[in-house]
Amino acid sequence: MTEAPAWRLPPVWVLLVAVLLIVCAEVGGASMVRFKIELTRWARGVMLAHPEIHGLVGVRDVDERILDEALVKFDAGLRLFHIHAEGMGLVIIATTTVAATLVRTPPARPVMITLLTVGGAGYPLGYLLWAALIPYFGMERGKAIAEWLFWIPFGGATIVALWWLAAVVTLRLVRR
Amino acid sequence: MLPSRHFQPPGGPPIELRRPPLAIVLVAVLVIALGETGGAAMSQLAPAVERYATARVDANAEAHGLLGSPEYDDEVRSRAVYSAEAGLSFFHTHAEGLGLILFFTSTLVASVVAGRRVRAALYALLTAGSLFPLGYLAYSVAVLELGRDSGIEAAERWVLIPLGSAAIVGLAGLAVCLTARVRAAARPSLP
Repeated sequence: MTEAPAWRLPPVWVLLVAVLLIVCAEVGGASMVRFKIELTRWARGVMLAHPEIHGLVGVRDVDERILDEALVKFDAGLRLFHIHAEGMGLVIIATTTVAATLVRTPPARPVMITLLTVGGAGYPLGYLLWAALIPYFGMERGKAIAEWLFWIPFGGATIVALWWLAAVVTLRLVRR
Repeated sequence: MLPSRHFQPPGGPPIELRRPPLAIVLVAVLVIALGETGGAAMSQLAPAVERYATARVDANAEAHGLLGSPEYDDEVRSRAVYSAEAGLSFFHTHAEGLGLILFFTSTLVASVVAGRRVRAALYALLTAGSLFPLGYLAYSVAVLELGRDSGIEAAERWVLIPLGSAAIVGLAGLAVCLTARVRAAARPSLP
């Protein structure tokens, strides 16, 4: 068998972050199932305590529909945290391995690995924040906060680093 | 740390994880990057995507069977737009998953498959399979241009089934190679 070059290991702190993210995703998924009733009760209680934010009018038929819609989004936020954290943990391991192996210039490599790791780990937390904010601030306000605090900065970092990595691999392929 | 000489883990000696060819690494990174970017674009451009999809349904009124009856047409339009948006969502999730699958499976091929031709065949199948998510982009476009049912059928027949089959055959081939390796390792070695 012709010896192909070996992969290089990314820094251990990167692997630790990726594994912790996957652990959080698994714990989050399990908690969603185990504490579904408690979580729903908590979110409903907070929403009832802030009727003006959710547009509750005191008419049962109207309010129940609004509460149901918000609770569906609350549940969706937790689910999206679960699946994105699982996926991004693996994306961090795969992409930082490629960067550790194929990015040769010393200043570029740590910067790219940091962007991939911090961006990948931070982005899913935005869904957790969104879910937590829905009962206090409503769906749209909560979404806007999560977007500016997590999705745009961390998701943006990941996207920039991924296209940068793709450009580096393309250059290496062309120069061979 | 390397295991001691007396310790032999089950399944054979330890191996280094080897890197597949650069072209395959590039495809894996590109598919993941497209998946991430597609997800962000879907979220940021949702109203624009919906407007565009509605306009394309109206421009292809015959393919969608619009009759000029507002109630019926609205129902047809919203089903078509929903299907197109679902296609974009499937593109995002499948691209993230299949980019990773290509990365990990091609690493396994590079590390454990001995024959050069078998390796090349598995690389080709797995790389074609990783392009499966592009089928969902075709699905979204085809739904809007050809009508919902005809578009879904065309995307499935010409893109999703061939690329998905390539992924399945490639993965099955890799499983066969791994089985052969496990059997070879289990065979007692000659003194």
